[in-house]
Amino acid sequence: MTDVLSFDNVTVTARMSGRSIDVLRDISFSLGQGDIVGLVGESGAGKSMIGRVISGLLPDNFSVSAGKVSFDGKNLLALGKSERRALLGRRIAFIPQEPLSALNPVRTIGSQFSEHLRHIGIERSRHRALMIERLTQVQLRNAEEALQRFPHELSGGQCQRVLIAMAFAGEPALVVADEPTTALDVMTQAHIVRLIAEQQKQHGTALLFITHDLRLAGHVCRNVGVMYAGDMVEFGPAASVLKAPSHPYTKSLLAAIPELTGPRRVLPALADHMPGLGTFAGLGGCRFSPRCATKDPSCIATRLPPRMVGAGHWVRCAERCEAAGNAQLGDLISLPASVADAPAAVAFDKVRLSYHASRGFLGLRRSRFDAVKSATFSVQEGEILGIVGESGSGKTSIGRLIVGLERPSAGMIRIHGQERTTGAVHLTHRDTQLIFQDPQSALNPRRSVMRLLTQALEVGESYVPESERRPVAEALLRDTGLPPDCLERFSSQLSGGQRQRVNIGRALGAKPKLIVADEIVSGLDVSVQAHILNCLLDLNRKHRLTMVFISHDLAVVRYLCSRILMMHAGEIVEEGPTEAVFSNPQHPYTKALLDAVPPDNADRPWPPVLATDSAMSALR
Amino acid sequence: MSSSIPSSAALKRERPPSATAEALRQAIRSPRVVIGGAIVLAMVICAVFAPQIAPNDPAEQDLLNMLLPPMWAEGGSIDYPFGTDSLGRCILSQMIFGARVALFVGFVAAIGATLLGTTLALISGYFGGWIDRVISHLVDLWMSLPPVVLSVTLMVGFGTGVGNVILSIVLVDWTRFCRVVRSEVMVVARKDFVSAAKLLGFGNVRIILREILPSVAPLIITLFTLQVGIGIIVEAILSFVGLSVPAGVPAWGQMIAQARNYMYQAPWGIILPIIAMFITVLGFNLLGEGLRVTLDPRLRKRNI
Amino acid sequence: MFKSLINVAARRLAGAIPTVLLLSMVVFIVLRALPADPLALLLPPNATQADAEAVRKALGLDRSIVIQYLIWLRDALSGDLGNSIAFREPVTRLLANSLPATLELSFVGLGLALLISIPGGLLLYGARGTILENILDVLVVCMLSIPSFLWAIFLLLGFGVMLGWLPFSGRVESGIVIPDGTGFLLIDYLVTMQWGYWQNALSHLILPAMALALGFSPLVIRVLRSSLLESSDDHYVTVARQRGLSERQIILAHMLRNSVLPTITLIGAQFGFLFGGTLLVETIFSYPGIGNLMVQAVRNHDLPVIQGVALVFCVTTLAINTVVDILYVVLNPKLRRA
Repeated sequence: MTDVLSFDNVTVTARMSGRSIDVLRDISFSLGQGDIVGLVGESGAGKSMIGRVISGLLPDNFSVSAGKVSFDGKNLLALGKSERRALLGRRIAFIPQEPLSALNPVRTIGSQFSEHLRHIGIERSRHRALMIERLTQVQLRNAEEALQRFPHELSGGQCQRVLIAMAFAGEPALVVADEPTTALDVMTQAHIVRLIAEQQKQHGTALLFITHDLRLAGHVCRNVGVMYAGDMVEFGPAASVLKAPSHPYTKSLLAAIPELTGPRRVLPALADHMPGLGTFAGLGGCRFSPRCATKDPSCIATRLPPRMVGAGHWVRCAERCEAAGNAQLGDLISLPASVADAPAAVAFDKVRLSYHASRGFLGLRRSRFDAVKSATFSVQEGEILGIVGESGSGKTSIGRLIVGLERPSAGMIRIHGQERTTGAVHLTHRDTQLIFQDPQSALNPRRSVMRLLTQALEVGESYVPESERRPVAEALLRDTGLPPDCLERFSSQLSGGQRQRVNIGRALGAKPKLIVADEIVSGLDVSVQAHILNCLLDLNRKHRLTMVFISHDLAVVRYLCSRILMMHAGEIVEEGPTEAVFSNPQHPYTKALLDAVPPDNADRPWPPVLATDSAMSALR
Repeated sequence: MSSSIPSSAALKRERPPSATAEALRQAIRSPRVVIGGAIVLAMVICAVFAPQIAPNDPAEQDLLNMLLPPMWAEGGSIDYPFGTDSLGRCILSQMIFGARVALFVGFVAAIGATLLGTTLALISGYFGGWIDRVISHLVDLWMSLPPVVLSVTLMVGFGTGVGNVILSIVLVDWTRFCRVVRSEVMVVARKDFVSAAKLLGFGNVRIILREILPSVAPLIITLFTLQVGIGIIVEAILSFVGLSVPAGVPAWGQMIAQARNYMYQAPWGIILPIIAMFITVLGFNLLGEGLRVTLDPRLRKRNI
Repeated sequence: MFKSLINVAARRLAGAIPTVLLLSMVVFIVLRALPADPLALLLPPNATQADAEAVRKALGLDRSIVIQYLIWLRDALSGDLGNSIAFREPVTRLLANSLPATLELSFVGLGLALLISIPGGLLLYGARGTILENILDVLVVCMLSIPSFLWAIFLLLGFGVMLGWLPFSGRVESGIVIPDGTGFLLIDYLVTMQWGYWQNALSHLILPAMALALGFSPLVIRVLRSSLLESSDDHYVTVARQRGLSERQIILAHMLRNSVLPTITLIGAQFGFLFGGTLLVETIFSYPGIGNLMVQAVRNHDLPVIQGVALVFCVTTLAINTVVDILYVVLNPKLRRA
């Protein structure tokens, strides 16, 4: 039986600033009928590039310089543009990421689906019935009505269902799912993954599943390929790769992912980060070698061919490295002992935050939206409190209320004993700082790192004249683990992880007693994430910094926080010590959320049979 | 996405330049900036050194040589390189001196419109709320009058004179500055680094001047450059209608208006000032366009 | 959807009334309070002392500016905008005769501008990355540097005088009867099926309308092209390509639809610019519209006409802006369920 898709030593080269850079090197793998293969890698590893090779939509200066790609026996690369286009949508379909922006916002769902059906050759008279049938199959409620709606009127999950329906409508032989759940909430992710798996089984399609989440791939895919800097470093059956990884990178990747169960140990974090395109030229051999603990000079110069280590499992690494480099288990983390009668750093009492919108004729009617309904909780000094929830749960609003960027509409807030409710927003409380989620938006692109770190010294009581600021900046560099030579750089010249550290450093510069971190590790690579989490633990221990850590990622929260609040639709639904809440959840929302996270152990069945949609909606 | 970072060793060798120096270097590489800048410079030199450059006194009437064609046409004379108008005045000299009025009005009016529009835009975009609503309504109101009509009306009220022309241009065009800069200010003001500055105890004025203004500065520079060109055109329109400078002062619009009466016999009289105006405005537009592309990092990416 | 349309319309109308009042106040103050001796601008040169007294009384020139404005407002609301000093006719009649001509010219100009700019913008977008793009870009910048009145002079000299292809004065050949009707010649002659006259009116419209169109097109071309460039990078366009749709299909069925919105916004915002261009274009082509009327009034120091025309310009621009706002809500699905 011919493979549906096979890559044979495919190399993609880019011409940039006069140089040729191998963006993908010698990629080989294959997909049989009905097979599911996962491509896993951090951002920039090249996994999406493989998708673009299949669709033929490479950027202008990129081209396939070597190798063969066959689809259903045909040489994909030899096809002309229009022949390739004839395949797309019909025999090869894509499920994109970020579903909300994947559809034209000014056209209805129905008109776009219909356009797609026309493209795959279905006559117009059958469109409506077929669309309704397919949309119902993907469990889109009110399918008929949905046809009239515009993308912005649907949720992310609903849009993704439409896209899945469109992808499978042509009964394709191959579906490429490019990070289909990355932009979705944890619970929606579980639904969508289950849906894709069902559709795949039903239609017998081969599925190429691209994701950065190794655990997720382990649950969904039969075979998994691990990508690093344009190389495929390991490939094999999912169980094999996850339980007995051979490549040092795979091992460190697995070790750096925080776990939801088991003892809490310090995450081993690799130094540095994955090289970007600009530095590929200098890395002729193994591109992981600069960060590898077991490297020797031969690694840097030569590329090793794939070596079999198990049934269908190969790795690009020397045999001697297999035994060594097993991640040493980190030390157990001791939770900061919270003194029982320590003063409360933060005390919320029935706090409500509402927004008003004008509606109706001439805007005369005003409607109220409660971002936070009635929040009562406290944070002890020196503690790390986690606030967990999905988007729209109100967790960011709580963070902004704590630091004073928002004023409560009702209730009382006390920070370090002082009231925070009356009058204008008092922003002279520099002892509470917020680390923002998006470092792009959080760092002024016109300020150098030096000026960013010492921004707190420019005004107020801690004013320090410009000539004396350097030592402070250097101390902050050490505290946050930034390299000493980046003081003169600008944020556009830094990596995502480094920007986030500058973010933290700036907040620290104000010598705060309390820090609120709002989703600061989402979107970061796993190893960078591990660094930042360890950095936060250090700061908490060294400076007795109280922290409020806001995130949607349960495992990350568990790693960092001794106590957590679960939030849903503006309310705190559960509260307590982290271990207690996770091992014995009381509220149905917490239970559902815990069920929806891909378990650490690849053997446990996932996605579980989740509560049906109607039961879930009762919770909203 | 991790961006490409050279090794620490490589970085020690080169010190990244400041944002402004980098921008200037990029700017010089753009052909538009170079050509536009050259034209502007040439016109400025014309204006400043007009008495030295012009072959004749622009106000001097030589009634024996009326409507002379340019020197390359039949009947032309080297004394009047571009010919003469209906009163025997040298066209070339009028054009050169006309640059004075044009550039003076253009620059000063642009400065005024920039100051007024930008200040209100910063206040309106940063503070939001009722201040923003009031200023936005004011701008909307103002923009309901077509600009030309408003300038003409203002000039009827004010009376002729260069100062009044500048005033009326400022009063009409500040709204455009305000509207465009305000949108940009609002984008910047919503960025987290502004909130971060507030959390560090920065006062509002400091935030506006240190965090917001530098981010919108490229836009302001571009708009300013384009505004000079617009000011020149408006001045020409006003002098065409007779509402600009007093009759004796040479201005391109006036030249065009007067030459219109003799368009059929002496087309050069109208064509030459038109060319002068076109080239000058083109120079400013090229410069403004070039600056816009080089100073805005988003657009720069596309050009590569 | 209709509910939100009525909403928008009601809101705009409610806001338009104070706007018109405020603008009329501004125009009034500029023309009455600023000049040193308004009386001189309101009287013909050979007025007698008795005439002067009568005018002074009627307009309340001896009272405060507020009372003067209220007197004027009262008269205006009953349809009396005063009499033209130069033509000795009621201003309202002059306006009624000339406004349709200008509107017709502006709409034809706008139509021509769209005819030029939409293919132009598509061409400029399609040429991206090639040398043609640079050439066209420079062309557009050159066009931007030529205001409509200069285009008017070029067209008049070129096509009118030197080539003689098209007429360049008035609305129709002298001697042709202008029918009573809407005032829009293209409509009136069409309705009465007088093809010869219709053609004649059209040929007189072409040059001035072209002048307006050429002054306006570069703006629209710019906006269209930059909006196409931006949406080319949009996620949904990439996804559409992945579905196998051809570039042509994507541009026509997706990107253009999205580019309509910013284009309409620009047209609404800059319509005043097009409209104001009629002042000089009409003068140059001796076209009997309100622009021409205003320029003559300025030359004749005819204050009531100046005031009346300014007011009409602003009311018309407001009306067009309201229509554009409503159109925007209709076309933007995100705004439909307000």
